[in-house]
Amino acid sequence: MSAPDALLEFLPPYLAEVDELLAAARSNLLAAEVSARKGMASPRLVRELFRGVHTIKGLSAMVDVEAVVALSHRMETSLRIADQAGGRLGTAAIQRLFQGLTGIEHCVKQLAAGRPLDAPSPALLALLDNLEEGLVGSPGPTDGPLVLQLAPSLLAKVNASEREQLNQGVAAGLTAVLLEFSPSPERAQAGFNINSVRERLSKVAELVKVVPVSAKVTASSPGGLYFALLLLTSNPPEALVAASGVAASDVKVIASPRSPAADDELADLADAALPAYEGAGRHGVVRVEAGRLDEAMDRLSALVVGRSRVMRAVAQLTETGANTRELLQILAENGRHLRDMRASILRIRMVRVVEVLERLPLMVRGLRRSTGKQVRLELELGNAELDKGVGDRLFPAIVHLVRNAVDHALELPEERVRLGKPPEGLLRIRCHSRPNSLLELSIEDDGAGVDAATVARRAGVPEPRNAQELLELLCQPGLSTRTEVSTTSGRGMGMDIVKRIAVGQLGGSLTLATELGKGSTFTLSVPLTLSIVEAFVFESGAQRYALPVSAVEELIEIDPDLVIRGPVPVGKDGRAAEASGVGMIHRRGAAVPVLTLDALLHGVQGGRPKKAIVVFHQGQRVAFGVDRMVSQQEIVIRPLEDPLVRVRGVTGATDLGDGRPTLVLDLAAFSKGITLGLPA
Amino acid sequence: MSELHVVFKVGEAEYALPATAVLQMESFTGVTPVPGALPHVAGIVQVRGRVVPAVDARKRFGLPPIDRGIDGRIIVSQLGDRVVALIVDSGREVLKLSADQIKPPPPLLLDQTNGFVRAVAQSGKRLVMLIDLEKVIGEDTQ
Repeated sequence: MSAPDALLEFLPPYLAEVDELLAAARSNLLAAEVSARKGMASPRLVRELFRGVHTIKGLSAMVDVEAVVALSHRMETSLRIADQAGGRLGTAAIQRLFQGLTGIEHCVKQLAAGRPLDAPSPALLALLDNLEEGLVGSPGPTDGPLVLQLAPSLLAKVNASEREQLNQGVAAGLTAVLLEFSPSPERAQAGFNINSVRERLSKVAELVKVVPVSAKVTASSPGGLYFALLLLTSNPPEALVAASGVAASDVKVIASPRSPAADDELADLADAALPAYEGAGRHGVVRVEAGRLDEAMDRLSALVVGRSRVMRAVAQLTETGANTRELLQILAENGRHLRDMRASILRIRMVRVVEVLERLPLMVRGLRRSTGKQVRLELELGNAELDKGVGDRLFPAIVHLVRNAVDHALELPEERVRLGKPPEGLLRIRCHSRPNSLLELSIEDDGAGVDAATVARRAGVPEPRNAQELLELLCQPGLSTRTEVSTTSGRGMGMDIVKRIAVGQLGGSLTLATELGKGSTFTLSVPLTLSIVEAFVFESGAQRYALPVSAVEELIEIDPDLVIRGPVPVGKDGRAAEASGVGMIHRRGAAVPVLTLDALLHGVQGGRPKKAIVVFHQGQRVAFGVDRMVSQQEIVIRPLEDPLVRVRGVTGATDLGDGRPTLVLDLAAFSKGITLGLPA
Repeated sequence: MSELHVVFKVGEAEYALPATAVLQMESFTGVTPVPGALPHVAGIVQVRGRVVPAVDARKRFGLPPIDRGIDGRIIVSQLGDRVVALIVDSGREVLKLSADQIKPPPPLLLDQTNGFVRAVAQSGKRLVMLIDLEKVIGEDTQ
């Protein structure tokens, strides 16, 4: 099923609106979950949710998107009942509503991608149909993560799905129990061996896990072995004792049924984190497709380019002796207007960081469930804003860092208690605007910290001397500090991706502060806007290039005679690879490598450049020899996104006023090796 | 049913693309080389404010480079989500080709041209080769 053609033109506004309604519904549902955990009703939120889902249904019916109508209709029905019951929603119902929202979101994505829409899965529809049962009445047991009273050695054997099973059991009012059964000849004679015990216990309890544990040979465990059985039960300990023939002291409660008030401290997750979605706050807001803003910016760049042509023409006129004073005045004024105009357009493109990170609370919620860790997410974002394009690119990097923090850094609640930390881990995301149009965003956790020794061992290199070197190591593609593959982070930390986004795509920086056992802070520093930067324009070979001023350490003159040429690598054919043109100069008491840019880019014989651009990258200075510096000016960077021209060392293109593109380089990409032509 | 095609020349031969795939055709006035790109990628061109990668058809078809002079054209085309340009020797004609004029290429031609030729159309005495733009542009279309 796809949207009928006649309605295609309504699809973009429909998708945009549903998207917004979904975002609001997710926030409201998260907030409702927080209330439900506290055992409180949330009449206002339920009503908001009802209205949102109702609107989605109405819109979808208008454009004939049956699948969404089916889903939203069922959700609407249950929400109406919840509303009539004074706004009570149980956590189980909330979970299902989340699944419903995800179902709608899936449909919306399919439609947006122009793909045919599947009918919603019958399982999901059934789930939503049966929603009403658990809806009204008590808010139900809460389902926050639990702390298991278990020895660390045993705890380490409990995997995520078993933990989730225990978690759900406890939330459903069962008691989690550890029962230790030591096989012995006497017990076997009485009919108690591990198989019979398992069988009998399964009648009075739910078996979660059985772990054989080796022990000292004693009178009570003559085999030097006992079995640790993890159970969920509603029966009293005596029933377990009777079923297994063990002593009462061999049965220990490791987690009691949860009372709703138990995790109040968890609750402020969403309170602080979520932007309030009040319908009223949205008046006077216009939704604009990003493409239209790009279009306006393109038109403006054309004006800027046109102006510099007029400037050149006027300069020529002035040289002939004509009186151009008034022309120059007009041009100056015109320049100011263009700058203001540009600032206005840039401001339109700014979005609040809060909105960029809108999905994080939901993601963290999912991570808490899948890892069994307790996480308190603190967002301190203030009113900071950044360019939509930057935000869209940055978000995946933040997702990576947040996943890593929960998956790798934060410990399980028991482990944290053992270490003297609060059971709940802290994940704090802060951002500040810095003076030079930079936005600083830090992701802080109070977890295990990064163990430099382990990372070094795994990478097979000497231990890094400082945090920056450690970060470099972490950012190597394919490096993993974990042995097993986790579902959320996969193998490898994905830090290379984070770095590629922050440094490679956005021209920012990434730093790390970490203390073993205390936690880590990753800080991303990125430009607020992407499109316009101050750049040096220079010539190398017969080509012009631009380079952002921020990437340049200094511009120097070099005396070609003072460039020291070292040994030249010899190729397989026995010929010296002269083209690489590497040399060295003496600069402030240190040897700085000099690469001839033209040689580097085109593999031709290294020339004798007199100018060099020094770039500081990863702790070393590298000088790139160029022919001539042309100017310093503001440029509009257009990214090169087509795979055909996505190459290392080129970040984009700009128009310097001649109507043809000029490449914007990222020299830092060349400073590590001199291999050419690798795809980025 | 017949469809409009944009006809252009590369070397001595005539090629065509459906007009629906062509966004615009411009005079070729040079290209900015991109170091490190594949050999058949001439570089980037700026067409009406948009920067697009340009593939040199001569190079792709194994012909020696020439000075294209004033006849050279850039054919800007839509390829899925991508916008790409093909640099050709000349071209300004638009031809209406009906389905029965368009035939699959002789197997030998298919073998010898890397699959660049998708079909052959006969228009009077002329033979026009319909190119497979995706193959000519090359590389992954991710």
